[in-house]
Amino acid sequence: MTAAGTPRPPVALITGASRGLGAVLARFLVNQGFAVILNARGSPALEALAEELRRGGHDVESVAGDVSEGRTQKALRAAVDRLGRLDLLVNNASELGPAPLPSLVEYPPGKLEGVFRVNVIAPLSLIQELLPPLRASQGRVVNISSDAALGGYPGWGGYGASKAALDLLSLTLAHELSDAGVSVVSVDPGDMRTSLHQAAYPGQDISDRPMPEVTVPFWAWLLNQPGSLVSGHRFQAQADRWEVPV
Amino acid sequence: MIAVPELPAMPTGPGADRPPEERGLSRDGVRLLVSSERGETSRTFSDLDELLRPGDLLVVNESATVPASLPARSRLGPLLMNLSTSYGAALWVAEPRWGPGQPGPLPLEPGETLDVGGVPCTLIAPYPGIPRLVFLQAGGDLAHAMQRVGRPIRYGYSAREFPLEAYQTEFARVPGSAEMPSAGRPFSARLIERLRAKGVELAPIVLHAGVSSLEFGDAGPGVAPMYPEPFEVPRDTAEAIHRARSRCGRVIAVGTTVVRALESAMDAGRVRPARGFTRVYIGPMRPVRSVDGILTGFHDARSTHLSMLAALVGVTRLRRAYDVAAREGYLWHEFGDSHLIFSDPVT
Repeated sequence: MTAAGTPRPPVALITGASRGLGAVLARFLVNQGFAVILNARGSPALEALAEELRRGGHDVESVAGDVSEGRTQKALRAAVDRLGRLDLLVNNASELGPAPLPSLVEYPPGKLEGVFRVNVIAPLSLIQELLPPLRASQGRVVNISSDAALGGYPGWGGYGASKAALDLLSLTLAHELSDAGVSVVSVDPGDMRTSLHQAAYPGQDISDRPMPEVTVPFWAWLLNQPGSLVSGHRFQAQADRWEVPV
Repeated sequence: MIAVPELPAMPTGPGADRPPEERGLSRDGVRLLVSSERGETSRTFSDLDELLRPGDLLVVNESATVPASLPARSRLGPLLMNLSTSYGAALWVAEPRWGPGQPGPLPLEPGETLDVGGVPCTLIAPYPGIPRLVFLQAGGDLAHAMQRVGRPIRYGYSAREFPLEAYQTEFARVPGSAEMPSAGRPFSARLIERLRAKGVELAPIVLHAGVSSLEFGDAGPGVAPMYPEPFEVPRDTAEAIHRARSRCGRVIAVGTTVVRALESAMDAGRVRPARGFTRVYIGPMRPVRSVDGILTGFHDARSTHLSMLAALVGVTRLRRAYDVAAREGYLWHEFGDSHLIFSDPVT
């Protein structure tokens, strides 16, 4: 509550928010009354989205920078402190790695480190950094995974291994944070027509994949479930059913 | 989106434009077409107890119909907002229409505000792939608004407005369906009593049915316009199904909503307890394994319900039944006649 007694709006922080799935989530959340903190590496696209949302009368903070860098994480914490709370953290920023996708036997280890830095270490660092406000609001963490985490698809081994590691972070954190009332879920959004997907298939036509808006009904469902019911679960946003334990 | 082959067109008969009680019949006095591998026979719904055997199990939908059609005011003028599915107290999927007989899509924009039954609402986003549906964020209590000014959803074919009671089944217990799970409508308390006395078991599921106005084409060519609906298969019902199967009883779904719920709860060939949202599409490419028959109404030529029936008995048998129904003047729609379809030969 502010000094004036009006409740502060809920706040969501989305990484990788300038386009694709992150931007879809940002638009969906602001229309539901969330204030949003948007992070992405590329400043122009990020600022364009932030401006668009501000013109719609929404409360938006934008933080440009690589989420795997400590100073970006600190800047995001500062933005959370400015808005006074954090209800939802979406770790969406993802590093695909070298493209075209190399097989694992040819994968440069240095590049793999970079993939893990963005897809595994950065989400965990951000959760650590933002735990106090998440705890205070009994907030939620959504880690964006991939079917590559399970598939063993040739070429997707580096990215997939990082997402498998992120899945295990999600599950473990869900257990570790259950007493604190913070819920953690892992979401495989499914194949979508995004720049990451295009980068994985350079020169190929991916127009048969759905736009990331296809996931909107899933977010509507997930964010309306009690955190305790969904925490520790892995969901597929484009599946034909979403379940909670009976 | 789910791309599926569309069924070849099926015959359609006349629609019932009012409840049977307004046509001089009791609820269980509607006609009942019985289809099995051997052919079609014409009966009356109240004969159902004679058509089932001790040990058979009827699975029924306990969802109750809510008055989901609300008057709305918008930039475009007055319109109807048919609330389809609640995702939470304040978030709904809805179908804005000009009127009962005048569907959308309407040119409404995300971020736009409108008054729905006295509640300020914001249009959040179009429903992906189904332009006639939108996500609506409510700045107040839409469930309360429904109680005050909501009417049951109706379409152009219905003669006039009927009270909510006309849209409730004998099984209605959990409010949440935008449209009546109509297969259960012809059951009377009397008939249920006779069925129980005979040794026919009944077990519930809940599936809150959304708006039924969509048909093939609304989501693009060759795409089934499926959207998720809340469902729950209780543990006791999953167990009742196994018991029925083990005593060689038949499991009969009362309505397509029941088939969808049970098929959504299938795991390794068994129905298990389940709860969530489902948009499982059941059609000829995805056989039905959870039930041995279905009690349902007569469905429009381009509906996804027909695809489900074709999954149960095949297109050829379904066409044969619909030919008979159309020829013999069976009535279509939610107040119409009933259809009992056994997937196996009736002994």
